[in-house]
Amino acid sequence: MSGPSPAVARSEGPADKGPSLMAWRSTLTYEDELSPELQRYIAALLDGRITGHRCPSCSRVYVPGKGFCPLCMALTTERDEVAVSDRGVVTGFTVITPVAYPGQHQTEPFVYASVLLDGASSVLAGMEAGQDIIGIPHDQIRAGMRVRAVWKEPADRSMDDITSRGWGCLAGVITGFTPTAEPDADPADYRGSLV
Amino acid sequence: MPASDIAIVGYAQSPIAATSASEVQLLLPVVRDALAMAGLGYGEVGFTCSGSCDYLTGGPFAFLFNLEAVRAWPPIEESHLEMDGAWALYEAWIRLQGGDIDTALVMGSGKSSSSRPADVWTLQGDPYYLAPLGVDPLSLAGLQARALIDAGKATERDFAEVAVRSRRNAASNPHIGAHVGPHVGAHVGPHLGAAGELSVAAALGSEYVRAPLRAHDLAPFSDGAAAVVLARGDRARSLCERPVWIRGIDHRIEPHLPGFRDITSSASTSLAARQAGYHGGPVDVAELCAVSSPQELILRAALGLPADTLVNPSGGPLAGNPVIATGLIRIIEAASRIMNGSADRALAHAAGGQLLQQNLVCLLEGELWPNGVP
Repeated sequence: MSGPSPAVARSEGPADKGPSLMAWRSTLTYEDELSPELQRYIAALLDGRITGHRCPSCSRVYVPGKGFCPLCMALTTERDEVAVSDRGVVTGFTVITPVAYPGQHQTEPFVYASVLLDGASSVLAGMEAGQDIIGIPHDQIRAGMRVRAVWKEPADRSMDDITSRGWGCLAGVITGFTPTAEPDADPADYRGSLV
Repeated sequence: MPASDIAIVGYAQSPIAATSASEVQLLLPVVRDALAMAGLGYGEVGFTCSGSCDYLTGGPFAFLFNLEAVRAWPPIEESHLEMDGAWALYEAWIRLQGGDIDTALVMGSGKSSSSRPADVWTLQGDPYYLAPLGVDPLSLAGLQARALIDAGKATERDFAEVAVRSRRNAASNPHIGAHVGPHVGAHVGPHLGAAGELSVAAALGSEYVRAPLRAHDLAPFSDGAAAVVLARGDRARSLCERPVWIRGIDHRIEPHLPGFRDITSSASTSLAARQAGYHGGPVDVAELCAVSSPQELILRAALGLPADTLVNPSGGPLAGNPVIATGLIRIIEAASRIMNGSADRALAHAAGGQLLQQNLVCLLEGELWPNGVP
């Protein structure tokens, strides 16, 4: 936690003319030891592979594997690990126009998209995964659009941003998803995956 | 419907230890085990209520991920609080008064090992006036201890005796892990450990962390989770051989600024106890959410506990303190002693805010005459 910063600390107005104000910026630092499931997931991502856990009860595939199925409550382990494709379908998206605030590094409009990967049952939700859609004007992005991951060079891949508080972050290993030019998916194939 | 018609029929708590498991992974087994103890399956409770803390988790909507531990599909009736799970139990107790449901699931969870608790609680407890001064929980606890000594209400030896008894009791608590988490003392002095033998003389010979408090006088910050199943009336009797009846439960709050109140006593604890129906009668066990040894002395006095009441037989928060679950665990520890027949009447206490700002008191009883009054 930081103390008062000379750059922002200030007083406004003499004490006898009402309250004085002090700007004070604070920071909290968190350091996670990631769960064994996330550590395996990350190791695969850095190697260019996306993995999940297949529930032994209902066969749904979760990316990443959580160690359990939240619908069946069955436990899963690395024995239930499966590979999923790096191609999928956009199930929903938001074009974000950033405004400046502490911690916001974006300056130009960008996209948070939810992507259902081929072979996965769980959606990589935009807020968690930070997936941009690239290589297409924003006004042409649509639900149902087929996309593929654009991987970063191995040396540029980093999972520093992944935390145990969310699931499915790909932002450190891919630049974004880009259209494959395949025909759009049938809405019936991704209905119910609109996270 | 009388308030005494609601009982604890199942419970479970995780090991109290630093872990790499996610918060929902901590909750998963305790929810499963609490439901199993009550003989209920997922989706068979009428209401679910959870306590979690975004400041501790380090992200918004902590409760949302935690809901995966209860199987929230098909949709369930659910609520959550940014408070200790003891308050989730209170909300569930209120919800059960509606009379249209007869079971509820309560949980509380927190991972302290990801953050620096001295920073988190400084900001969470008072982001307005005290945080810029850097008044951390340890310093506040030291001020409270000093005030208690200055008022002639306690001595450093009294503090040490509380800590020594806590450690002795904790030695037989199977939930206390080898690494209870980042101990406050670890940042500033040698960590004496939370469980095991310690003499009063040795305790008094150790270094101050925040004078007049030493490492053993201050609770660690642990990871952990707990869950409780409540049931009403005959449903409780059918689910449990010896339901633990909640005879009364109440919570009261004081101004958050410590300077606005007498920190050598706890008026809100006294009031909550009276409102919960406790007026100083015999109590076999009291589990108190004291995160410093002086706080146990303050709470004993505020509740008016008889001298022969067994206080914190689990070791209490001084031995293991998974913040946000710590208060709910006090209720579980008290209830477990009624459930196993070693106690008939117990008090459980939970606290929130800085220096016992908000206090919850719960009066628990076993069925004294299950077959009717003799």
